[in-house]
Amino acid sequence: MKAFSFILLSLLFSHASFSAVDATSVNFDNQTITIALTQEPPQLNSMKATDQVSGFVLPHVMEGLVRYDRRGRIVPAVAESWEMNEKNVTFHLRKNALWSDGRSVTAHDFVYAWQHALAPKTASEYAFILYPLKNGEAANKGELDIGQIAVKAIDDYTLKIELERPLAYFIKLAAFATYFPIREDFAEAKGDQYAADVDDLLYNGPFILTEWVHSASLKMVKNQNYWDKDKIHLNEIHASYITADTRARLNLFIDGKIVHTRLDGETYKDALTQRFRIRKFSTGSVFFLDYNHREERATANLNLRKAIQHVFDANELVNKVLGTPGNLPAYSTFPVWLQGIKGKFRQEYPATIPELDITKAKNYLELAKKELGVERIPPLILLVGDSPTAAKQAEYMQGLLKEKLGLDLKIDIQTFKQRLAKMTAGEFDIVAAGWGPDFDDVMTFGDLFASWNLNNRGRFNNAEYDRHVRIAMGSTDPKVRMDAMGRLQEILYEEAAILPQYEQGVIYLMNPKLKGVVRRVVGADPDYTYARVVE
Amino acid sequence: MNSYSPSEEDFKFVTVLDKGDQLTRPSLSYWQDAWLRLKKNTRAIISLYIIIGLALFTLVGPYLWRTDPALQDLNQISQTPSFPKKAVVVGPYKRWAGIVLNDFPAEPEEYLDFIPAPKNLKVVDAATTQQVRLSWDPVVGAGGYNIYRNQREPESINDLGLPLGSTLGGNEVSYEDRLNLESRQYYYSLVSTDGLDESDAYISIEVTPQLTIELATAKSRGLVDESSNEINVEISLEFHPMGTDYLGRDMLARLMQGARVSLFIGIFAPFLYVLFGIFYGGSAGYFGGKLDAFLMRFADFVVALPFLLFIILFKIGFGIGPGESGVLPMLIALVLLGWPATARLVRGQVLQIREEGYIEAAKLLGAKNHYLITRHIIPNAMGVILVTLTFAVPADIFTEALLSFIGMGVAPPTPSWGSMCNEGVKTMLSHPHELIFPALFISITVLAFNLLGDGLTEALDSRMRSRE
Repeated sequence: MKAFSFILLSLLFSHASFSAVDATSVNFDNQTITIALTQEPPQLNSMKATDQVSGFVLPHVMEGLVRYDRRGRIVPAVAESWEMNEKNVTFHLRKNALWSDGRSVTAHDFVYAWQHALAPKTASEYAFILYPLKNGEAANKGELDIGQIAVKAIDDYTLKIELERPLAYFIKLAAFATYFPIREDFAEAKGDQYAADVDDLLYNGPFILTEWVHSASLKMVKNQNYWDKDKIHLNEIHASYITADTRARLNLFIDGKIVHTRLDGETYKDALTQRFRIRKFSTGSVFFLDYNHREERATANLNLRKAIQHVFDANELVNKVLGTPGNLPAYSTFPVWLQGIKGKFRQEYPATIPELDITKAKNYLELAKKELGVERIPPLILLVGDSPTAAKQAEYMQGLLKEKLGLDLKIDIQTFKQRLAKMTAGEFDIVAAGWGPDFDDVMTFGDLFASWNLNNRGRFNNAEYDRHVRIAMGSTDPKVRMDAMGRLQEILYEEAAILPQYEQGVIYLMNPKLKGVVRRVVGADPDYTYARVVE
Repeated sequence: MNSYSPSEEDFKFVTVLDKGDQLTRPSLSYWQDAWLRLKKNTRAIISLYIIIGLALFTLVGPYLWRTDPALQDLNQISQTPSFPKKAVVVGPYKRWAGIVLNDFPAEPEEYLDFIPAPKNLKVVDAATTQQVRLSWDPVVGAGGYNIYRNQREPESINDLGLPLGSTLGGNEVSYEDRLNLESRQYYYSLVSTDGLDESDAYISIEVTPQLTIELATAKSRGLVDESSNEINVEISLEFHPMGTDYLGRDMLARLMQGARVSLFIGIFAPFLYVLFGIFYGGSAGYFGGKLDAFLMRFADFVVALPFLLFIILFKIGFGIGPGESGVLPMLIALVLLGWPATARLVRGQVLQIREEGYIEAAKLLGAKNHYLITRHIIPNAMGVILVTLTFAVPADIFTEALLSFIGMGVAPPTPSWGSMCNEGVKTMLSHPHELIFPALFISITVLAFNLLGDGLTEALDSRMRSRE
C-alpha cells in the first residue's frame, strides 16, 4: 500500500511539473507563450516612447518602412523598395501593408508621424533621431513650420524625403520606433488618449494588442492583417507578469510560468544548481571611464591619462572583478560587433591594446607632475553610479591606482539622476560611463566625443577628432567613412581620451522549447516576432 | 598605717593579655568594594577580558599582522579562511591569437538541420589559473561555437553551466578562458551553432587548472626575491587566516583597521557627551529653580531632533566632499545629540543627593559650591555615570555600524565593521565569511560592553554595599 501510494504520488508530481512547463509558459498546440515585463510601458505612443519596455512592445505591434531580420540585417517592411541618391531618398510602399482596421498604410501616415514627432508641442525626447530630415531640427526648435520638413507623400505609396546632408545609415534609422507611421484621422480623433489603451492605438505590426490591464498584464495576438503573416508562428504572447525583481522572475521561470528571464551575479548560481541552460548575449553597450578634460582639472593632462592607461588591465577587470560571463574587455570606444566596410569594423581597423608597463607609466606620471607643477597629484574624484558592481569597480580602480602609481582616488557614489547632473556640470575628474547604440552604425559611437556632442561629458575637444567626425558624416562612401572612424579610434587611444573598460554582456534563461527568439543590440530585445514553439 | 607610695611600676602600661572577641575586616573604600563584587560576577569579568582583548586587537594587532588592509590580492578573491596555498610561479601572460583555419569556411555553405558536436576538444598549453586554452576540430555546417564551463560533470545539454563565450565563425576553433579561474575541477563543454541557434549535441572535457602566480606579482608582493627570475618553482601564497574579501583584501587586516573606526567612535563619542551630560545635568540639578527648568526643557528639545538628518546636515555643513570620510561629522552629531540622556540621569541623581544629610552638614560647616560638587555630589553620582557610559559605548558602536552600513560613514577603502557587513551582505550566499566575521565582531563587542555594564550596575549600586 505504501509503495503504491508512493508511486502514485511521484506520478502525480512528475505530471504536475510537466504540465506546468507545457501549459503555462509555452503552448505548442496554440503557439502561445507567456513572458514577464520589467515594468509597464508608460504609454505606447511611438512619437514619445523612450523607455526600454515600450522599445520592446512597440516593434512587435507596429512596423516602420524597414525592419531588422533574424540576423540583424535591414530588410523591407512597409516599404517594398527604396532608392537613395545623395540627399534624396524615395521609399516605395507595398500595397498589402494594412492597419489593424483593414485600411492601407500609406505614405501620408509616415508624413503625419514624423512631422508630429518633430513638432515642438509633442516634446518628444527622441525627436533628434529625425534631425537628418531637411529642416527637421529647425522645425523641432520652432524656427520653421512642421509643414516645411522635407518629407512628402507623392502619392499613397511613394514617400519622398530630402535629407539635411548625405547620411549613409539613414535606412537603418528608418527602423527606429520614432519613424513608425501614425494615421492622422485616428490619432486626431483620439487626441490625448492616443496610445493610452488597447483601443486607442492602430496596429500595423506582426501582432496587435488585445488586452492591457494597467499595471498587471498585456496580451498580444497575431495580426491577421499583417502583410507577412505567414512568417509569424506565434499566435499569442501573454505578458502576464510585470516585475523587475530578478529573484521573483527566476522563481517564475523555475515554476514554468515565463519563457525568459535575465540573471544577475547572485541569481545565476541558483540557475546553475537548477540545471538550466544559461545563455549569453552582448548588449552592445560599452562601458568606459571618461576623464574630465576641462582645463582646471588634473585629468586634462595627457601624461597623467597615459600613466593610467599603462597600468589598467581591462582583462583583469572583466575576469577577476566583474567575474560574470558575457562581458568582454574593451580596448576601444567601438565595440566588436559593429559593421565595417565588409566585415566587422574592429577586424578591419584593429584597436591598439595598451601595453601594461609600470616603468613607462611611472615616467608618464613624473612628466605629468612636472607639467602640473605639483609634488603630488591631488586626489582625483571618481564619480560612479550606486549599483553594487559600480562600487566594486570603483574600489578596484582605487586600489589599482594607489598600488601602482600612488594616486589617490576619492569615490563619489551617486544615484543615476544625480550622477547625470554632476556629469553635465563637470563635477568630477573621472566618471564611470557607458554608451549603448541607438542605431546600427559606427557613428552612434563615433560622434560621442565630438566637441559639440552634449553627451561628451568630459568635454574632450580635439580639432582633428572633430574634423574626422565631419568627414564621416559628410560622406556615404563606406571606405571614406570607415577610414575616418578608424582614425577616431586611433586618436582616442593616442590622447588616452577615455579608458575603455568592458563591453557589456548579460546572461539569461530561455525556455528551450521556444526557438527563433532574437536578441538584438538595437531594436526590440528580445524579439519574439519570428519565434515558434517546438514540441 | 600602711601608706601606699606609688612606684614607678604603677606608671607603666599594663599588658593586656586577652583582647577579647573582636571582629574586624579591612576598611574598604567604595571602589574596592565595587571591584570585589564585580570580580564575583563571572559574566562581567569575561566581558572585561574580551574588551581588553579587543583593545589589544585594535592597538597592537596591526603591528603584529602587517598585511596592508587595502592591498588587493586578485589571485585570491573571496577565499575562505584556510592555510597558505602553494602556487607555481609563471612568466607574464602572453596574448594568444587563437586558432583560425584559413581553409575552412567561416559561415556554413548550407544550413544543416543537425550539426554534430565538435570532436577532439583538448587543452592547449598548460591549464593554469592564469588561463585555460582550448581547441577542437572544426565541424561542417557550423557557423560558430559556444563554450560552457561547469563545476560538475554535465548530465545533459541543459546542464552545461556558465556560457563563457562564443566564436563567431566555423573556422575559429579555439577559446581562451580567464574568468575567475580557481584551482579546482572544471568541465568545459562545447556546442556548435549555425551562427544563431545551437545544436543539441555537445562535447565535454574535465580540466583542473594549476594554481599559479605571475612572477611580477610575486615580486611586488615580496613572495620571491627581487632578483629572482626563476619560474616554474612552487611558492607559498600570502596567508589570509580569516580569508579575503571580494577584491582579495585580507579580512584580518581589514577587521583590525575597521575596529579602529568602530571603537574610536564607540568610545570617544560617549566619553565626550557623558562628560558634557555630567556638567549640564549636574548644574541643572544642583542649582535647580528656573535654571533647571530652562536647561531641562532645552534637553527635551534636543532629544526631539532627528539624528540621521543631523548627520547629513553636518556632513554637508563641514564641507565633507564625496569620497571623504564622514567619521568626524558622525562623531560631532553623536556628541551634540547624545548628551540629554546622561544629563537627565545625572540631574535626577544630583537632586536626590542634594537633600542628603551630609550635604546639609557640609553646608553648615561653610562648604562652597565647588567643594560640594567635586567632593560630595560627583563621587556619589559616579556609579550611575559609569553605568551610563558602559551602555552608551555599545549603542554608539552599533550606530556607527548602522551608519557605515548605509554608506553614511567611512569612505572606501577605509573599512569599518559596519561597511564590511554592507559589502559582505551582497555575497552572503556564496561567501558567507565576508559577512559573518565583521558581524561577529560587532555582536561580541556590543554584548561584552552590555554585560560589563550590567555587572557594573550591580557592583556600583550603593545599596548593595557590604552585602555578600
